[in-house]
Amino acid sequence: MNPGYLFTELLQRRRRSLAVVISIALGVSLFISLQAYGAGYRQAARAPMALIGADIAAQRQGDVPEAFEGPVFPHSTAPIHRDEVEAIRSLPGVESVGEAVLFWDFDPDQFLVVLGLEPTVSIDKAVGPGRLLTAVRDGRFLAQNDHLKAVVDVSFAEENSIKLDDTVLIAGRTFSIVGLVDTSRTGQVANANIYIPLVDAREIAGSAASVLAVHDFQKGDSNILFIKANQAQAENVTEAVEELLGDQSLVSSAQSFGKVLGASFQLIDQFGWVIGLTGLLVAIAGLLRSISSNLRERRRDIALMRAVGWLRISIVKQLTAEAVVLSFAGGIAGLGIASVITFILNQTSVNIPVPWELSPTPHFLSGGALEMGLTIPLPAQIDWITASAALLLAVLCGAGVGIVLAGRAANIKPAEVLQDE
Amino acid sequence: MNSLLQAENLHKTFGQVEAVRDVSLEVGKTDFLAIIGRSGSGKTTALHLLAGLESPNSGRILFQGKDISPLNEDSLALWRREHVGLVFQSFYLIPTLSALENVAFPLYPSSMTAKERHRQAITRLKQVGMGHRQKHRPGQLSGGEQQRVAIARALINNPNLILADEPTGNLDSETGAEIMQLLRKLNLEDNVAVVIITHDPEVAAEADRVIKMKDGKIVGNKY
Repeated sequence: MNPGYLFTELLQRRRRSLAVVISIALGVSLFISLQAYGAGYRQAARAPMALIGADIAAQRQGDVPEAFEGPVFPHSTAPIHRDEVEAIRSLPGVESVGEAVLFWDFDPDQFLVVLGLEPTVSIDKAVGPGRLLTAVRDGRFLAQNDHLKAVVDVSFAEENSIKLDDTVLIAGRTFSIVGLVDTSRTGQVANANIYIPLVDAREIAGSAASVLAVHDFQKGDSNILFIKANQAQAENVTEAVEELLGDQSLVSSAQSFGKVLGASFQLIDQFGWVIGLTGLLVAIAGLLRSISSNLRERRRDIALMRAVGWLRISIVKQLTAEAVVLSFAGGIAGLGIASVITFILNQTSVNIPVPWELSPTPHFLSGGALEMGLTIPLPAQIDWITASAALLLAVLCGAGVGIVLAGRAANIKPAEVLQDE
Repeated sequence: MNSLLQAENLHKTFGQVEAVRDVSLEVGKTDFLAIIGRSGSGKTTALHLLAGLESPNSGRILFQGKDISPLNEDSLALWRREHVGLVFQSFYLIPTLSALENVAFPLYPSSMTAKERHRQAITRLKQVGMGHRQKHRPGQLSGGEQQRVAIARALINNPNLILADEPTGNLDSETGAEIMQLLRKLNLEDNVAVVIITHDPEVAAEADRVIKMKDGKIVGNKY
């Protein structure tokens, strides 16, 4: 194979060469960009749960409270019993489970959203709202063995002029405020006004007439579980948890968030490969047509190669190399275009609607019916394995096209061509 | 005669047309031979058979005593690369390549370095009086210059035999005469056997031996 001759020929037909490079570049960039777009949305769908350090949030629907007096469980947070929690903990793929008890406290003077959580000492071990450990603005976070201690959402504290070391009355119990936390940094899942130790929340719920009137809440039960699962098994875990919690289960995961991300994502998620591959194949068809035209135009040159002693394999190598160079150049250009498209996609943002069952605020309160959503920059990123595969596919298709067409061209009978004129 | 190439009873048909009929001829190592005939006399087909560009339906061709008729196309290509230089009426230079690159073109598939290829090509270009036009493309050269480049290309492999199909056919008479002088010079100085196909009696007159063809057969052999 002679590189000088190769590039001379490609440059001589620079318009056609450029058209081939552009068409392959568009095919490759479409293929890679769609994957980057889809991957960005999939990543975005994980964000609401990732912000609280879990992969799955499990709840169960229950009866509506008979009266909104004192502590009540929201409709979407019926008890999850101890044996069910243990069964979930032992599911294959479950790495850890964080338990919580969420309740609304309707007192004559105030309404509170309260979340009882397991105090966390280390962020590495925190699953669920325990990650608020990193969001402490003032004071400290809840610690092991804390009792009647609370940390308060900083915006709630500002609205109600609550300060560190103040006390707050929850279901007739006085809690000392040991810390203020900025919940805006941990997303909108499992947000509350006040966070208290799980043991206190269980005690309040277990003795609340309004809770017990509609729920069989027992000591050790929870009403929200935050599950960290092996990524490869997350979908199976989600299904298993749904099955364990029965018909009334409300299980949120990256998959369930993905389902509400809109039709374009659904389309790209399901058909991205097909659309991308189709684009790539259309580009390869363009390459086929172009190389075919090139070889038709160069019949005389190919006949001459044979006449002056080129072996068939030498001709095939030379002509195939041209197709490979064009497809490789197209692939690299496509990668460049895909990088630009991905950069532009990163400048856009995506709104992930948070489903009503994860909203801690009652719909009948002011602002409670507002649609919640998490808006983040679209984390589109090129998967280098996909990019390499697209590049390899383009080059292999180029080589295939070259071998087939050059193989046919090399069968030329020089005597038939070189006596025409 | 010290025989280089022997054709024995060559026969070639294209469909119903008998292009070459029972042609036998012998080319010596230093022969300057012309095959003459009118259009359709079968002279070009005969040259293609001698060059291994066509296979005879019957008969055989011996080169240095070895029968090349049964060789496949790749083996024939290799044989041409090692022993034969071809010159065509329409020159058949690659339009995208310079004169130098066109001359080196038969060597492209070899393992020779680019530097060595160019060295040999320059030598051949100088030999045909085209040393000053190395960088020029065919479109920038006159017909006579293009044919000189084509002859340099035919010489690049140090062939034993040059087969030229109407080498002066696209040239004016003066330039044609110069090309004939060049071929004669190569024949004498490099000891290369030359076989020329022509329909022009004046060109044929330059040869040592003239074979006349008519209706695919040899009808005359004049020394």
